[in-house]
Amino acid sequence: MGKDSTNILEVKNIEVVYDNVILALHNVSLTVPRGKIVALLGANGAGKSTTLKSISTMLASERGKVTKGSIDYEGNAVKDQTPSEMVKLGMVQVLEGRRCFGHLTVEENIIAGAYSRKLSRGDLNQELEKIYSYFKRLKERRKSQAGYTSGGEQQMVAVARAMMTKPKMLLLDEPSMGLAPQLVAEIFNIVKMLNEKEGVSILLAEQNTNIALKNSDYGYILETGKIMLEGSAKNLLGNDKVKELYLGISKGKRLNFRDAIKDNENKNK
Amino acid sequence: MTDSILFFFEVLVGGLLSGTMYSLVALGFVLIYKASSTFNFAQGAMVFFAVLSFCGFMEYGMPFGVAFFAVVLLMILVGLLTERLVLRPLMNQSEDTVLMATIGLGFVLEGLAQAKWGVEVRKLSLGIGDFPIPWIADNLKLFISALDLTAGLVAFVMILLLTLLFKYTKIGLGLRAVADDPGAASSIGIPLKHIMLLVWSAAGVVALVAGMMWGARAGVQFALIELALKALPVLIIGGFSSIPGAIVGGLLVGAVEKVLEVYIGPYFKGGIEAWAPYMLSILFLLYRPEGLFGEKIIRRV
Repeated sequence: MGKDSTNILEVKNIEVVYDNVILALHNVSLTVPRGKIVALLGANGAGKSTTLKSISTMLASERGKVTKGSIDYEGNAVKDQTPSEMVKLGMVQVLEGRRCFGHLTVEENIIAGAYSRKLSRGDLNQELEKIYSYFKRLKERRKSQAGYTSGGEQQMVAVARAMMTKPKMLLLDEPSMGLAPQLVAEIFNIVKMLNEKEGVSILLAEQNTNIALKNSDYGYILETGKIMLEGSAKNLLGNDKVKELYLGISKGKRLNFRDAIKDNENKNK
Repeated sequence: MTDSILFFFEVLVGGLLSGTMYSLVALGFVLIYKASSTFNFAQGAMVFFAVLSFCGFMEYGMPFGVAFFAVVLLMILVGLLTERLVLRPLMNQSEDTVLMATIGLGFVLEGLAQAKWGVEVRKLSLGIGDFPIPWIADNLKLFISALDLTAGLVAFVMILLLTLLFKYTKIGLGLRAVADDPGAASSIGIPLKHIMLLVWSAAGVVALVAGMMWGARAGVQFALIELALKALPVLIIGGFSSIPGAIVGGLLVGAVEKVLEVYIGPYFKGGIEAWAPYMLSILFLLYRPEGLFGEKIIRRV
């Protein structure tokens, strides 16, 4: 696969095991077409973070291992690279829970994102201004200590910091976590803008199915380490099972996901 | 009356200046604590190892400057090997594991130093006497040791350099980022191993300088390792993660122990300075556990 291929990321049948015993992912495959936003949906513990970490190679630091399958990013097999090597290749992950450098200022946090790039002072300032044009709120708070900013601002810092690495591929882990709906909307707007204007491809792990699908092109639904459903964002939003289980729009009796799948299989028989 | 005030000042200044020696040792601990959140039990052994090697190189006939430079290189090598053989395999293990590893590292360095250079106490002359500076003694009637004053100046310069390094350089920013959240730092491409190497090398160089100052006063000997543990109350008082804290903590410990020794010591039949700093640090643990300058733990509710 060359660099000109239409998919920036191809994950094929991966299996992930933690501590050599705990099976976290089973046979997960997904692709991210270049320049698109793909959502990875599912409940707590479904394996969304694990999937992202196995792609960004952050998994090794949690004693997790990809034991089967393959991950191809830009035609490179992702295997033994370190996260900082992946960043140099243009892939960056925004970790779950924001993880700002609390004692650094907002601006220092963002500048830290440029650590792997060799930028002159002038170029750095230019890059900063560009980042601030997306994250206007952060410009006002640039001198504040990041630990004392609001949750929404911290999430923005985390995304802005990742954008400073000049990524081609952004892995976003639950940007909506713990934030008010208005802020979630604001952050998703920025993410969408980054995708359109900077051309960055995005793989987005979310529990907030509704807002994630409304802002993406394609979606996968993970449950207990397996992909249960996939489709274009539009189809998934209209899908009865998704509506029932993830969007909370119920018709008639309540079903859990497994029953819904079973029902579906029975109907197809 | 004035005599007793003068005497108090003499004790105080003497204490403050000997406190800078504590600060120098504490500085090495702070560097490593910042990057790995671990108390480096090997720091005392590093002090011993560095200054003993310095004496050894001098005995080989190296001039002062060359020997100093050679030990700097040696300490960078120690940093490199520590990162490769100790820290990297223990990456992602708990901080306690790394703590235990530093104890082991301490034994290895002690053993290596003594195996190579022997166990006898060596004299180290820096060309600065440990006696009162005549000019100050004549004009201000204060008896201040030239060595203490030099140690104070050296400590000041080291602190200034390190503060500038952390605050204004790219690698300093990287280090502060790693100190806050190593996982997040590595997720945005800050290579942890470079930061670790830098920190351990810097701590090695600080150990050498501290060892030279202490060695010139007390002789280059095994007891330096014990002396380095005086840094523990210094760090508790100043804050483990703060460079200014190491300085102020050192000064405070130096001043308090000398003043108490002179004024209250006689009631306890002397020897107060051996435990007074620890008492002070217990008070800090009770009422201000992050120390004077330690970073407050920021937690959003």
